[in-house]
Parts: sequence; C-alpha cells; structure tokens
Amino acid sequence: MRRVRALLARIAGIFTRHRADDDLRDELQAHLDMEIAENIRRGMDPVAARRQALLASGGLTQAVEAVRDQRGLPWIEHVAADVRYALRALRRSPAFTTVVVITLALGIGANTAIFSVVHGVLLKPLPHQGGDRLVYLRHSADGPGGENVLFSVPEVRDLRGGAPSLAGIAEYCPWTVTYQANEGAVRIDVGLVTGNFFEIMGLSPLLGRLTRPSDDGPGVPPVMVLTHEYWTKRFGGDSGVVGTQLLLDGSSVTVIGILQPAPFFPNRMDALLNMVISPHHLSALMVEGRTHRMTEVVARLAPGAGVEQAETEVAAVHARMQSDFTEAYDPGSHYRVAVIPFKEALGERARLTLWLLMGAAAFVMIISAASVANLTLMRGVRREHELVVRAALGAGVRRLRRLLLVENLLLAFLGAVLGVVIAVGGVGLLTSLAERYSPRASEIRLDAIVLGFTVALAGSVALLLSFLASLPKEGGFASWILAGAHRLTARLGRHRLQRGLVVVQVAVSVVLLAGAGLLTRTMMRLADVSTGLRTEEVLTLQVSILTPTQLLSDPGADAWAKERYDRMRDEVAALPGVVDVGLGSPTPLRSSFVQLDVKAEGGVLAAGEATPRAELRTANPDFFRAAGIPILEGRPFATTDQWDAGMVVILNQTLADRLFPGEDPLGKRVAWTGDVLRFTPISGEWRTVVGVAGNTQDGGLDAEPRPVMFMPFAQMLAIGGGLVIRADSNVAGLKTAVTRVVRRIAPAAPIENVMTVAQIKDQSVAPRRLNAALIASFGGLAVVIAAVGIAGVLAFSVSARTGEIGIRMSLGADRGRVQRMILREGGGLLAVGLVLGVAGSLLGAGLIRGLLFGVAPHDPATFIGVAVLMAAIGIVACWIPAHRAARIDPAITMRSQ
Amino acid sequence: MAKKSDVKQGTLALMILGTLEVLGPLHGYGIARRIEETSKNRLKLNYGTLYPALLKLEQEGCVTTEWRRSENNRRAKFYALTAAGRKQLAREAREWHATADLIAAFLAPRRESP
Repeated sequence: MRRVRALLARIAGIFTRHRADDDLRDELQAHLDMEIAENIRRGMDPVAARRQALLASGGLTQAVEAVRDQRGLPWIEHVAADVRYALRALRRSPAFTTVVVITLALGIGANTAIFSVVHGVLLKPLPHQGGDRLVYLRHSADGPGGENVLFSVPEVRDLRGGAPSLAGIAEYCPWTVTYQANEGAVRIDVGLVTGNFFEIMGLSPLLGRLTRPSDDGPGVPPVMVLTHEYWTKRFGGDSGVVGTQLLLDGSSVTVIGILQPAPFFPNRMDALLNMVISPHHLSALMVEGRTHRMTEVVARLAPGAGVEQAETEVAAVHARMQSDFTEAYDPGSHYRVAVIPFKEALGERARLTLWLLMGAAAFVMIISAASVANLTLMRGVRREHELVVRAALGAGVRRLRRLLLVENLLLAFLGAVLGVVIAVGGVGLLTSLAERYSPRASEIRLDAIVLGFTVALAGSVALLLSFLASLPKEGGFASWILAGAHRLTARLGRHRLQRGLVVVQVAVSVVLLAGAGLLTRTMMRLADVSTGLRTEEVLTLQVSILTPTQLLSDPGADAWAKERYDRMRDEVAALPGVVDVGLGSPTPLRSSFVQLDVKAEGGVLAAGEATPRAELRTANPDFFRAAGIPILEGRPFATTDQWDAGMVVILNQTLADRLFPGEDPLGKRVAWTGDVLRFTPISGEWRTVVGVAGNTQDGGLDAEPRPVMFMPFAQMLAIGGGLVIRADSNVAGLKTAVTRVVRRIAPAAPIENVMTVAQIKDQSVAPRRLNAALIASFGGLAVVIAAVGIAGVLAFSVSARTGEIGIRMSLGADRGRVQRMILREGGGLLAVGLVLGVAGSLLGAGLIRGLLFGVAPHDPATFIGVAVLMAAIGIVACWIPAHRAARIDPAITMRSQ
Repeated sequence: MAKKSDVKQGTLALMILGTLEVLGPLHGYGIARRIEETSKNRLKLNYGTLYPALLKLEQEGCVTTEWRRSENNRRAKFYALTAAGRKQLAREAREWHATADLIAAFLAPRRESP
C-alpha cells in the first residue's frame, strides 16, 4: 500500500516538476540561512559561517538532483529525454532516416504479411475443439487417381471396431446437389454426414443446431447446416435463413443451423446435410459395398493415444481387411492407409510454397537489416565527434549506448509501423494466393500474434544495430578525447564489418534471384505446355441437367436429358460465328471424377502389376473436331454409335500405349472392370476400340497425361454434360448468347465453368505466376538494396580516403588508375558475394524441387543469367563512386587536410 | 555523503520519524541538527541525503508538510508525523529492537561453553 502510494506520488511528480523545484530551492535556502545564522551565533564571522554552512550542505545542486531523482521516476524521465533527443537527431538527418525507415519497412512488411499467412494456414491451432487430437485417414493406392481413394462404409465399420486408439470416427461423403435459388440453379458442394459428425469434429453451431443421431437413417426430414463461409457469401450472414427451407435436388431441406467457421478437407464445403437427401447413400449397395469408396474419414485420437499408435492399429485392421476380402484389394495397387494430423493434412498443399515465401521474406529481412547496419555504421563514424563531445560533458558509455538503442528502437518502430501498413496491403493479395492451396485461407489475419512477431522482429533489429556501434570501454573515452579526434575513421575492424555486410547482401540477393529465376522459368515452361488442343479459341461450359439421384432413380430421365442436350447443341450451332459444337463430359482440360479399372481382351497382368485404371469421358461425334483434339488413328465417333449399335470406345494415346504396347489398338476390345462396377450404371461388357485420340492436359498443365477412355455420349448415361464450342473469332464474346440458350432449354440446370480454353490454361498457370512474381519482386527488392549498399560503402570508403587519393594523384597516379583502384575494391566484394550466393543457391535449390516444372533445380542457364545480372548491376553500383573518386582534385584535397 | 558515518536510507527514515515524534512538527534544519546532536555528531547529514529521505516519507504518506514561520520568525517548511507515520515508526522500531536483540544474542556471550 505504502509502495503504491509512493509510486503514484512519483508518477505525479513527473508532471509537477517546475513548481516543486522552486519549492525545494526555497526550502534548501532556508536551511542554509538557518545554518549560517547558527554559525554566526556560535561566533564565526559571516564569511566563514557561510563557507562552513555550504561545505556542510554537500552541494546544493547535488541535493536538488538527488531530490529530483526521488521525486519522479528518473528512469522514465531519462528515456523520455533520450526519445526527445533521438527524434531531434533523426530529424537532423532526414535522408538517413527516410532510407532506413523505408528499407526496414520493406523487410518488416514482407515478413509480417507472409508470417500472417504462414501462421493462419499452417501454425495456428485448429478452430475445432481439441483440434490437435484430430487425424485424417488417407486411403491410397498406386496408379493414376490413387492418391486418395476414400473409404467405403464397410471399411469405416471395420476401422471403428478394430482401432481402439481412435476414440471416434467422423465420416462425410463429398457430394454435389443442385440448389434452386431464386435467380437460377446453382451447384453447391455439400458433405453428407452422420449424426455424430460434429461432435467428433469438435464443432459447434454459431446459430441454431447441428445434426444429431436422430437425423440419421431413412424416413427423417432432410436438414442442412450451412458453413460459415457459404452463409456469409450467399446469405450475407442473415440469421433469418435459419429455419427456412431451400430447394435442393427437388426436395425441401430445412436449414437448421450455421456452423462456426471451420476448414474442410480436401475441399471447401457449402453445407452439411444428413444422408436422407441421397437415397443412394442409404441403399444396401452403398452400405454393403466394400469397394464403393465415397467417404472421407477424420478421427479423434483416444486420450493418451498417439498418431503412431493409431497408424499401427489402422495398418493391422487394414491388413486383416485385405486378407479377408481379396477381391476388393488388387494386390498390385498396394492399398494402404496413412494417419495424418488433421492440421497437417489441411496445410499439405500450401506448406512448400509458404515456407518458400517465408524463406524469401527472411532473406529480404537479412538484406534490409544488413543495409541499415551499414548505413548506421557510416553514420556512426560521422557522429564520433558528437559522441566524444557528449562523453567529455560527462555522459557515460552506458548512457551513450542507451541513447543509441533508443534511436535505433525509434527507427525500427517507425519501420515496423510503415511495414504493417505495407503488410495490410499485401495480406489481401497473399490470401487470394493461399486460397488456391489451403482451405484455411479465411483464417489469415494480422492478429496479436502476428503483430507480436512484427514487434519482436523490429526489436531484434534495433538491438543488433545498437551493439554494432563500437564504443570504447567504460572510461576509455579519455583516450578519444585526448586524441582530439574529430574523425576516427577507417578503423580497420569496422571497415571489415561493412565489407562483410556488403558480401552478405550480394550473396543473399543472388539466392533470391536464383529462386525467382527458377520459378519464372517454371512458369514460362508451363505456359508453353501444349494443352493437347489445337486451338485456344474454344469455349467450354458444363451444365448438369440431371442430379446423380435423378439419374439413378428415374429410368426415363436419361433420354429426356439427352434430348435437351441435343437441342442445346443445335441452337448454339445456329449462333453467328459458331463453327463447331461438341457435346461431352467432362469438358476438355477438366479432370474426371470417374476413374475405373480397365482391361484389354486377352491382356494378362504381370505378377504384382497394378490393374490399369482410366478416366471415363463421354464425347459426341463432333466433340473432337470442336475441341481440336486430334484423332491419331482410326475414326471419331459416328452418329450411328447409339445404344442399339455395337459398343465402341476411343482411347487416348496414354491408355492405348498402356493397354496395347507396340500393337495396333484399332479393332481390339476393352472393358471396364472391377468390383466397383456393381455400384455404377456402367456395364463391364466388351467394347471395340475405333480410334486413338491425342493426350490432353486434363489434370493441369504440370500433370502427366492420364489414361482416358472416351465413350460415345449416346452410349452412356448423361452423368454430366458439357458444350465445346469453336468459333471463327472472339469465342469469349459468345458467352452471353450461349448461356442464354442453355438457360432457356434447361432452366433448372446449373451452368458452371463457362470458360475459354485460354482462360482455363491461364488458371492453371496463375498460381505459379503469382509465386514467381512474389519471389521475383523480393529478388528485385534485394538487388536494389544490395546495389545501394555497395555504392554506399564504396562512396564512404572514397570519402574516407580522400586524403590518400589526393596524395596518390599528386604523386602521379592518373584518374584511370584511381578509378580502377576503387572498382577493384568493389569488384572484390561483388565477386566474393557472387561466389557465396551461387554456392548457396546450388545447395538450397533442391529444397524447392517440388515447385519446379520443366526446369532442373541446378539449371545452368538460370544460374549463369542470375550471376551475370547481379554482376552487371553490381558493377554499375561500383562505377558511380569510382567515377567520383577519379574526379577528386588533389590540390583541394591537400589544402583541406 | 557524510564523512564520519554513512547513514543507511532505512535507518535515516527511522531517525527522522523518531525525531518528529519526540519534537513535534519541525523543519529540515531542525531535524538535521537533532539527528546530529543525538548521534553526538557521529552522523553528519548533507542535504542530498536528508531531503530525498524526507520526500520519500512524504510520498509514502508518513509525514505531511506545511510552510510556516519558525521560532526565529523565518519561513520554513515544517514536517509533521501523520497517523500512518506513527504506525510505521512503531512497526520499524519493533523490528529494529527484535533484530538488535537477535544480533546481540549472537555477539554477547562469545565463549560460553568450551
């Protein structure tokens, strides 16, 4: 209590200083007067009495100082004085301050922005209750499309019974439904979930309720929970939507609640529904079919259980499944289950890119800190005179050190503030980048932890800078003062530090440039990849007239839908400028979700060889011509290839090579195969190969072409449909007219992905372009800072050596020789930096192998290009101060010495 | 600093409070004289020691101050003990006695048993 009171009094004391000082002086004077009077009373003469009293007082000024220290909080007052002083000093050198603040702001801004993404997407704890106990189970197999084959209901049942370290298993089936909104039909991505899903995931409702076990099974009303993202995007966060009914796939579904914000894997979800919306999911086929794998699985670890233990148990269950049901697990495909912490699974696509960006940002920070350090060192030399004067006036080394620290903290703080402003701008751009890689992009924000990171960064830079300045040891100032030095320049040790910093800047710039070069080449290579289509003047769109449920439950639906597709084709073909219209699904350059095992008649698999798998695509006779996909052998489909005619297929080149290596596939017979056919409307009868089509880059420009088997649009149920439209020019201009036609013929069908081939291609290249652009801008920034750094250090060296150069010139050195001398000094630094940078990049390039395409990590062209570019910029940076040195006039220099 | 003997901050506060209790409200000079006399001039207080201590006591609420005329009709700042100051004095005196007794117990019978 007493302490608190005293502290408050002292804080108040800071503000009442002047009045209190007057009061104190009066009091001390009174004391002195009384003492003098007493001395006189004792018989001293007035002069002696006064002298004696003053001696006894111990010094009035010292007393005032001592009382002042007791009155306020001297520490705070000193700091305030330091801040005032530092502000004054910085204002006196505006150029220095501006350059330092901007340089720091760029580094701090880049780091803050990218750290906010890394933190939001990779590091932050999941929003799920106990999210660190959630694990994602990935079922995978060899071969195309085998990365994630999902689980079937019987498999989930086995896992549930056999792995005690999994306390609960949440399942969700990704599914799309057609939502009949007021303004037209849209497709939404939903998850069909069981009643315990949210409890196991640890998710709570924001509004309303979530599904519960009573929502399971047939004969219950369909209900849906909107994800926070979709609710905000589609309904503007209107709480009135809870309790209303939406028309999904023709049934009324009640919105029972809004889910808290939470990421889904592998893709975003718009809503979560109970199973009753899809009779298929409740059918015996689904519930009993071991190969009918449509379910994603996230499990919660039991208390005390670890990921490794769970993985061991799951592997044991899986091994038992494989031996009990050999027909469901083709041994050649090596089915396996991985148990991955859910947070890692959510971050896996983003991880490499983000750490690369974080690394690049860290490099920018190193360069900007090195550059600022150099500037500070140079300024420090110019300030030595001032420091000596302050020391002579009684400032101790500690006080000076504190003063420098305050100054640097102030600079770093200003840099941080500006950096955060830059980061605020950058986060928007980075979020749109992260959205391509991570379902957690909406969690990116500049929160307290990110700002804490910023403050820590700025603080460490300030500390670093303060301890770079070389002050003498306590008491060592005497020698400085005695030396009367007003320029203690060119002390070798410090100079070496400056040169070292320049070398670091050059080396780090080279590393960043090399990274930028490799990524730019990747992007260019990717843009050069042929899509497999002969032209980009092609417009594609997808329109699903039937939902899977309608298709599976209504026998007449298929013919009805095909009639509409044909009408669309005819009417679009009649539009002006349209050359060809094809029908098929999926449209070119989009991957197919249907991948099935295939076999060739008479073909025998080698022992342990995986059963070949192919994507199923449909096409009508004009499809290949409209899309510009070449028919390499045989013929395209004909109008006669109908249900009642012989079953025919066209293979793409990859599948033809896989099934019939070295043979002519035409006339051979192939069939879909595998247990899973039982759950599909696709028959396993033999089909005759009538043609071979060229490969197309359906899985993205950087993916290997997948094996594809085309079936005639007329010989397959209309599980989806799309139009492929070729025009003589400006195909993008047809979008509105085509959409209008489609909307009129199928008003209830959602229209998706209305894009030209050029746009699809661009979409595939875009993330890489953004990557390359970001790293390249970091590289560019680094090079500029480094070039300014070299020029600055050389200019400083020239000004420190003015006298020496003057002497050299007066002794006969000509201008060229002086210029060469300075160039040599800079060139040496540049060369060392280049060598270190190239060596470092060669070592580090392997780390980003996964982000490269068509370029080796040690691509010689890139490295040579980067080295030449850096050398050229560096030489220009050296040339400016060298030129200045050569123009030194010896006469003037000698006189001023 | 006093040459003869350094005064510890804590003990000086105790001496000041003791002086004010005995003599009533008093100015800085009077306090200094009294402490020096009581110590038989073994303690010498300079201003830089005395006045920060007085200020500290004021900040802690142990004393109040008032400008008044002194006995010699001079204007001086008088320090007076508050209730809190009296309590503080009592507590510190008790602690001091306890400590002194304790130390005395260790120092006095130097060799009691062989």
